Amino acid sequence: MAEATAPKPSSSVKLVLLGEAAVGKSSLVLRFVNNDFQENKEPTIGAAFLTQKCNLPTRTIKFEIWDTAGQERFASLAPMYYRNAQSALVVYDLTKPTSLIKAKHWVAELQRQASPGIVIALVGNKLDLTNESSGSGNALGEDGENDGAEGENDDGDARKVSTAEAKSYAEEEGLLFFETSAKNGTNVTEVFTAIANAIPETSLKGARGPGATQSSANRSEDQSRVNLTGPRDNASKEGCAC
Amino acid sequence: MFNLSSLVQKAQSLIDPTQALNISASDRNPAKSTLFRHQFRLPDSQTPLQEITAEITISPPVAYAPNATQGEKDKDRDRGYHYAGKLHLSEAYLCFSTQPTSFLQTASTSTSSGFTGQTHGAGPGGNGFTLPLCAIRRVERLHSQHYQFALAITTWNGVNSTPSTEASKTPALQQKITIQLAGTRQACERFCDGLKKGLKSGVGDVGKLKKVVAECYSEYLLSQGDSKKEARKDITPPDAGLGMIFRYPGDPRKLRDRSKMRLWGEYLRDYGRNVTLIRQPTFHKLIRVGLPNRLRGEIWEQTSGSLFLRLESPTLFSETLAKFEGRDSLAIDEIEKDLNRSLPEYPGFQSQEGIGRLRRVLTAYSWINEEVGYCQAMNIVVAALLIYMSESQAFFLLAILCDRLLPGYYSTTMYGTLLDQKVFESLVEKTMPILWDHLVKSDVQLSVVSLPWFLSLYINSMPLVFAFRVLDVFFLEGPKVLFQVGLAILRINGEELLDAADDGAFISVLKGYFSKLDESAHPKSENAKLRAVTRFQELMVVAFKEFAGITQQIISEQRMKHKDSVLNGIESFAKRTSIRNLGPDSKKLSVDDLGSLYDRFYQLLYERQQRSQIILDETDRRDKARRTKAAEVVTGLAESQVVEKGRVGLGPSPTLMDYDGFREFLAGMARWAITDSPSPPEKDAASEKAQHSYFGNSVKRRETSLSPWGYGNPEPADHEFMQRLFRRWDVDMNSALTLQNVVTGLAHIKGKGDIMGSITYFFELYDDDGDGKVDREGILRISEALLFLSRRGLEGSLTPSASMTGLSEYEAGNPNPNQPEEMQGNTNERFLSSVSAFIRRCFEYADPDHPQNQVAENTTSHDLIDPDSFGIGDDSDEEEEEDLLDLVETSPTRGKKPTGITSVPAALGKGESRNRSVSKAHAEAANAALDPSKPLHITLPTFRMVVLADELLEQFFESSFPASFRISDRIATPVPSSASSLTTFTNIGFGRSIAPQISVGGTSSAGLVPPGKGLRGVLDNIVTDGMRVAAEVRRRMDEAQKELEKNAVHRPDDEEEDEEGYDPTHTSGGYNGDAERRSVRSEDRDLLEGADAEAMSIRGQEGISEVKQPSASRPSLLERRSSGDSSKVIEFER
Repeated sequence: MAEATAPKPSSSVKLVLLGEAAVGKSSLVLRFVNNDFQENKEPTIGAAFLTQKCNLPTRTIKFEIWDTAGQERFASLAPMYYRNAQSALVVYDLTKPTSLIKAKHWVAELQRQASPGIVIALVGNKLDLTNESSGSGNALGEDGENDGAEGENDDGDARKVSTAEAKSYAEEEGLLFFETSAKNGTNVTEVFTAIANAIPETSLKGARGPGATQSSANRSEDQSRVNLTGPRDNASKEGCAC
Repeated sequence: MFNLSSLVQKAQSLIDPTQALNISASDRNPAKSTLFRHQFRLPDSQTPLQEITAEITISPPVAYAPNATQGEKDKDRDRGYHYAGKLHLSEAYLCFSTQPTSFLQTASTSTSSGFTGQTHGAGPGGNGFTLPLCAIRRVERLHSQHYQFALAITTWNGVNSTPSTEASKTPALQQKITIQLAGTRQACERFCDGLKKGLKSGVGDVGKLKKVVAECYSEYLLSQGDSKKEARKDITPPDAGLGMIFRYPGDPRKLRDRSKMRLWGEYLRDYGRNVTLIRQPTFHKLIRVGLPNRLRGEIWEQTSGSLFLRLESPTLFSETLAKFEGRDSLAIDEIEKDLNRSLPEYPGFQSQEGIGRLRRVLTAYSWINEEVGYCQAMNIVVAALLIYMSESQAFFLLAILCDRLLPGYYSTTMYGTLLDQKVFESLVEKTMPILWDHLVKSDVQLSVVSLPWFLSLYINSMPLVFAFRVLDVFFLEGPKVLFQVGLAILRINGEELLDAADDGAFISVLKGYFSKLDESAHPKSENAKLRAVTRFQELMVVAFKEFAGITQQIISEQRMKHKDSVLNGIESFAKRTSIRNLGPDSKKLSVDDLGSLYDRFYQLLYERQQRSQIILDETDRRDKARRTKAAEVVTGLAESQVVEKGRVGLGPSPTLMDYDGFREFLAGMARWAITDSPSPPEKDAASEKAQHSYFGNSVKRRETSLSPWGYGNPEPADHEFMQRLFRRWDVDMNSALTLQNVVTGLAHIKGKGDIMGSITYFFELYDDDGDGKVDREGILRISEALLFLSRRGLEGSLTPSASMTGLSEYEAGNPNPNQPEEMQGNTNERFLSSVSAFIRRCFEYADPDHPQNQVAENTTSHDLIDPDSFGIGDDSDEEEEEDLLDLVETSPTRGKKPTGITSVPAALGKGESRNRSVSKAHAEAANAALDPSKPLHITLPTFRMVVLADELLEQFFESSFPASFRISDRIATPVPSSASSLTTFTNIGFGRSIAPQISVGGTSSAGLVPPGKGLRGVLDNIVTDGMRVAAEVRRRMDEAQKELEKNAVHRPDDEEEDEEGYDPTHTSGGYNGDAERRSVRSEDRDLLEGADAEAMSIRGQEGISEVKQPSASRPSLLERRSSGDSSKVIEFER
């Protein structure tokens, strides 16, 4: 779709996914890269590497995605993966409060140890397990008025982390914030688009194009801007970094 | 100042057995026994007992002819295969290998590099066998002219299948090995004796053997072969994995499974099966071409040695499951998360059957090895194993993997994984320098690519059929196979990889390669044969031919080389993470302090564990009983592994500090926490003897480490105050402190240097029931604690000038050159008097517990608290001081009392007459308060007031108490001093030589005083006996009252002295003797008091010391100027 447009400046951005085990890091990537979802994904061993392009109006961002293993003991491997990363997706499971704590730890680790100016997005995944999953298709990062949503947490709602709580934390720390569902695709591409937009022009390798001003313009770009049609063949098998 | 890496030299190798050769922790040489076990894949219960050069003859099995003549037997020997090599005997195994190996202790370490052979203890290389003694049916000694000393061994080969229903039809085939021993007659006899003994004790295990063997597919296979005519349908084949139900991966035809099976059938029939298998050249070849599906599990079990573990405790798997049934653990939660996502593409793991098996194996293992628990990737590996073997088999194989083949891979820090990545990188750099340069230039991190290869044994990297081929060789030849295959992959793809400029391209090259492993390696070749060679075959050839030089030894060396940096990396990561997650209280301490605390905490736990391990080893050695617990057999903690246990980087390390640890921890930070009466060092004959009898040649540094506090470390004191502190910090009430507890505890003390905080803190320590009251006993205990804390001098010097410079100075560790040491000494004495005054005041201002007392008390205390009462307090203070000095010195000094009294500062002279009378009233009140028949208590506000009434106490709480915890600098550098039996400051290196760096702000003078001398010694002794001092203080107080009254009248005013009054010669003198000390003391005291008085007079001039009378109903305010310019507002609430 978007492939047809005239050649735009293209640059690659290294993105690392961090978060507790089984919060859906790999699933988010799989949704973003292949627009696919697997119920039983093999746990990531070490890290998986995938790439995906993200077309912005003025430039193309090629994400080099490092999807890391979530189990606690793999944490000491993480520095290997977030080295030189320009952006990070810190994922938690919004049905599991402990995963948000772990996410906060990761944020702190990144803020101190990763490259300065790293763009971090906090993502609460598994929105499909909550009641409001069907309604909220828009990025919560945009409209701050969505906070009322968790007021209706009564009937069989698996949500355990309120939007307000996570959002206020994200604001405190200056993070992008989204709630997503890798299962039904809610907000997934929005996360990556928002990150792409938030990457400062200056930090891009080989970024030549003009227009350092579009950072705010594309927040609400829809999926058509994101190239979902050409999944890389090396993305076909997950859990493998080879 | 210190870090864990410095311990590395002390610590032993976990990873490399050869390194442990240098230092041994047990009476046997662990390195050699470890190598021995690794070589023959024996359980950890086995040690090399005997070895002898021998030649074995393996004859193809013949029909058993019991009446064969001697001549026929000789002929048998001439046929068959002959191998020369070494025969080894352990407790329960007879092993033979053609490789030149030697594991006896007598072999010197210098030959150790040569004796390990090609496999370097990594696996059963060479031809030979590993025969459990219980599998030997009969041993005959052959007498013949040809052989000096020969044994014929008949095994239980095929034990289960022989008594077939039609026994007459085919006589059972018996496996026979002839062994010719080469050695002196004596050596041969000795070996035979050992063998005989072993055989006897092995008899009982035959039943186990039968049971274990029955689960081997080979038995079934051969039983079918034995009686071809009527294929015995009655026997159900043993479980050979999920593959039997869900089919094995790959096309059996393409894998040529049938012909492989036939070849193996022949081999097993001829040369023994499972436990009695004899390795011959064909064996290795058959493994290289890939194992047949149904035998794969069994051969894995055999070559890896997990079979022998299973033989040792055949029921461990089911027992473990039964024992822990229904229990929950973190590992189980983690396992459950991954069960559905382990090899999901294999149909067996889409079924409950497969998932159930996986669950049981992983869960059982997590129970027997809780340190490892469960690590992602284990699920994939176990899932793969379960395709070919039963649950119990997979369980034991997993144990072998975790303990032996992949050491540290799945540990909680995964240091083994990281280490082997480093090793792999260094091997790439060595063998493929061009590719390595390219990787460095294009910033591709190799380990990112290769880590999953190692962690999941190529199982989720290559197509399964090929991964299993790698595993076939891996189990036989050991970890080096992973490296060889990895290197070969890079070599084969070298050119394409050189074109890859980033991680992504690099990864896709390799991914593409793996997906085409089954294609022809030379598709365009003219030669049909060459065209038939698949890429995988090519890979195997490159791996094992081109990289044949990658031996276990090279890997061991590389591991040793990189171990420190890897562990340090992990530890600094762990430290960072841990410090960051310490919570809000930790913010009160500086980052440096937190770092030091972390180091101290874990270093202490580590060292304590080391010590207890050494002590344990020692006791173990003493009671030689070597029963092996089942769990130990499986978890297989080799001795060399134990030695470094507890290091943070190696995985689960202790995180809890008990009270003894806490004492030691405090002793490392605070001088007052070091004991004054160290128990005599355990320099007994035992440790001496131990050194000679079993410690290796290079373990001298351990010689005296049997002391529970470690060699050269000061022995911590054990004072009630420390117990209270421990209980206070132990917020979780589990009698142990976490780092979090320690940080929180210290944060409250050191925090912001807030005096009110530390007074409250102190008070609460003694408020046992938390009702805001401390009773008489408590007051005395507080005073004991104050004396205890100050007995080695106080941090910083308690003079007005010092208090102006503030906490920061002595925390920075700048010695204050203006601070004469003598002055410090006197300050300590004065502190003593302050404490005694403290007790008195406490009693004066205490609230009675009974209402009838209250009336009288109230009137008195209301009287007392007027603006001038502080002057009075300070006044009587001086007298008290004299009194206490008297107490702690010996009676002859009593004569000095009048001189002491002349030293009352002039500034205090104002309104003296009135003071006198009031203090008389005080004295009476105090005496009344001392009456034990009237229970009383003080409250926090009273306590505060009393503390603040005294300059020294105030400073103590404001600065020196918090500062006495020196987090960031080392209090004493343990210097191993040779003969001294006393742990004094001087001989632990706290003396002059080191003092300038380690001691601060004039505190060194106290340190220079050897305990047992003069005041300090007397005081120290008193302090160690709390009740005695309490009684003493009480008695003295009574006397003091009398003295006070007696002397009150003729107290002359004293002149203020100038700074020039300091005698520089005294500054360096220290307490060299009582006489000198006494001679300078009064002068210095005057001086000090002059300074003190100056401060007082400032206070007086400013007229700030006003105390509003605290009443029971309304809060009142006490405002008071401290000696500096900072003013404080103190709120009293009653």
